[in-house]
Amino acid sequence: MNQTKLNKYSRSVSIIGVGCTPFMYTVDNPETNGLTEGELFGYAALKAMEDAGVNPQDVDFYFHGEASPLNGSNYLTPNIQIGNWFGMKGKGSIHHSEACCTGYLAIEQAVNAVASGKYNCVLSGCVEFGDSVPAPFGPNDTIETPKHPYKRDKMTMDRFLSTTAWLYDRTYSRGLMAPMNLIYDDAAEWYKRTRNITDQEMDDTLNMMAINNRRNASVNPLALERKTFEEIAHEKGFATAMDYMRSPYNPKMGDFLRMEGVERKCDGAAACIVCATELVEKYMGNKTHKPIEVLGVGSAACEASTPHFEVRATEEAVRQVYEITGVKPEELDIFYANDFIISSHLISAEIAGYLPYGEGWKYICEGRTAYDGDKPINTNGGRTSFGHAHAASGMADVYECVKQMRGEAGEGQVKKLPKTAMLRGYGGAQNVAAVLLRTID
Amino acid sequence: MSVKLEKVVQTWYENLEQGKITGKKCCKCGAVEFPPVYACNSCGSMDMEWTEISGKAKMHSIVLPAALSSKPEYKELGKYAYGEVEIEEGARLNAVVRGINKKKRKELLPKLPVSCTAAIYQRDGYKTVVFDLDEE
Repeated sequence: MNQTKLNKYSRSVSIIGVGCTPFMYTVDNPETNGLTEGELFGYAALKAMEDAGVNPQDVDFYFHGEASPLNGSNYLTPNIQIGNWFGMKGKGSIHHSEACCTGYLAIEQAVNAVASGKYNCVLSGCVEFGDSVPAPFGPNDTIETPKHPYKRDKMTMDRFLSTTAWLYDRTYSRGLMAPMNLIYDDAAEWYKRTRNITDQEMDDTLNMMAINNRRNASVNPLALERKTFEEIAHEKGFATAMDYMRSPYNPKMGDFLRMEGVERKCDGAAACIVCATELVEKYMGNKTHKPIEVLGVGSAACEASTPHFEVRATEEAVRQVYEITGVKPEELDIFYANDFIISSHLISAEIAGYLPYGEGWKYICEGRTAYDGDKPINTNGGRTSFGHAHAASGMADVYECVKQMRGEAGEGQVKKLPKTAMLRGYGGAQNVAAVLLRTID
Repeated sequence: MSVKLEKVVQTWYENLEQGKITGKKCCKCGAVEFPPVYACNSCGSMDMEWTEISGKAKMHSIVLPAALSSKPEYKELGKYAYGEVEIEEGARLNAVVRGINKKKRKELLPKLPVSCTAAIYQRDGYKTVVFDLDEE
């Protein structure tokens, strides 16, 4: 497969502010039903600016990520439609979509813009209505022609699944059938075969990742699903969470994948402020938290007809970022993986060397990857419990990671203050990013 | 050879209608792109020519369809699985292989890779390529 050699950034760039909405089903709650794109993105953007200690006028440019703006917002240029909501009227901006990888490549975009020297301080935010669509107004209206200014309807699973076909090449891959259907189980099959573990061990590992994610989410006030599987199991009359997870309450939806290993699609937004590290003091003023340097971002993309697309693209993205930064896997203190299909969590942590080859499944099954373990992964709850507001999820991982690295994660704070972190983005059949962050002392 | 604006996709499907399974072969390094595209992903050469593939292939991995990974119209495939398929000319792709169910998979797993053969399959309005597990 093609490989890319990265060059060093022209100047260092750091994250100085982060903001994130709760991840939620907006339509289901009268308090959130009716929230709009500008309100979600604007909240996350202004929280990030407030956190950084900057005024909107200090920010030179903004990046806007949304995975499916036509479907979720009825917009072609969503960056423009919300541009007046956070005090940056008239400033330049770009919209980008890499589907579920958007929030990770949002960091790549922002860092490149500052590292090049063109801008000194940039906002990068992402928003998604993953669980609702603009509401048709009358009997002759459709989802494509909503007329009401803010009302939304629930996005049905049929509607969602019909739009996921847009992620796949129309010329060959959809017709070949296998490329778009292997997303659910390919990584689990690859792991089980190459590590030579049993079906039961694979099933328990997938279940434990969902259990660990939920434990993490249970102590995160921004998370979508906060009731632990231990509590749910008890309510349903099971002795343990694993008994519940092996039961028909958690049916097989794929060859390996069970229901609780699939994303919870939802609504939300997140944002960050980055600036040139040499200008941190100028921008942060009297803020005392430490800046988080973006050491590097590896990226690779494999169209879905490529065998083991997630594995191959992750291998290349991780290789790039280790090569350019000189960071070693053993230096990682915390790890995030976009796990809308939960096997991602296991395979990417092993490919990155955060968990040892062939042993990662044991770490997971022993609970060592939960927030209070020695190898924490997805401390916010991941896509199965924190929720998946598609474009915004990667940036929500950045938010959580930065909070952990500052020691500001509250009840969910990991035991050892992380200094070096990797975030593995994945999505859009399939973009992959490997983002390396390090606290500046 | 200069770069050409060419209807590669339409030609591929028209070749299937004529019973031919084709790809593009790199004139520089000999790698085959299947399905065909403009440039070689192995060496980057833009000099590619049409080639008919033999149909012989190997299946390297097996995933069975389930609720999330199947559609009602796939029933017409009969027993089938998804997996990594390597055609004799070297290209690898994710493809459907017919003739595999749960019992058969158990038997095949220790023998991977297993032989299969390309076939032209009629979908709603166009033909595509699937593979058939070879008889032992």
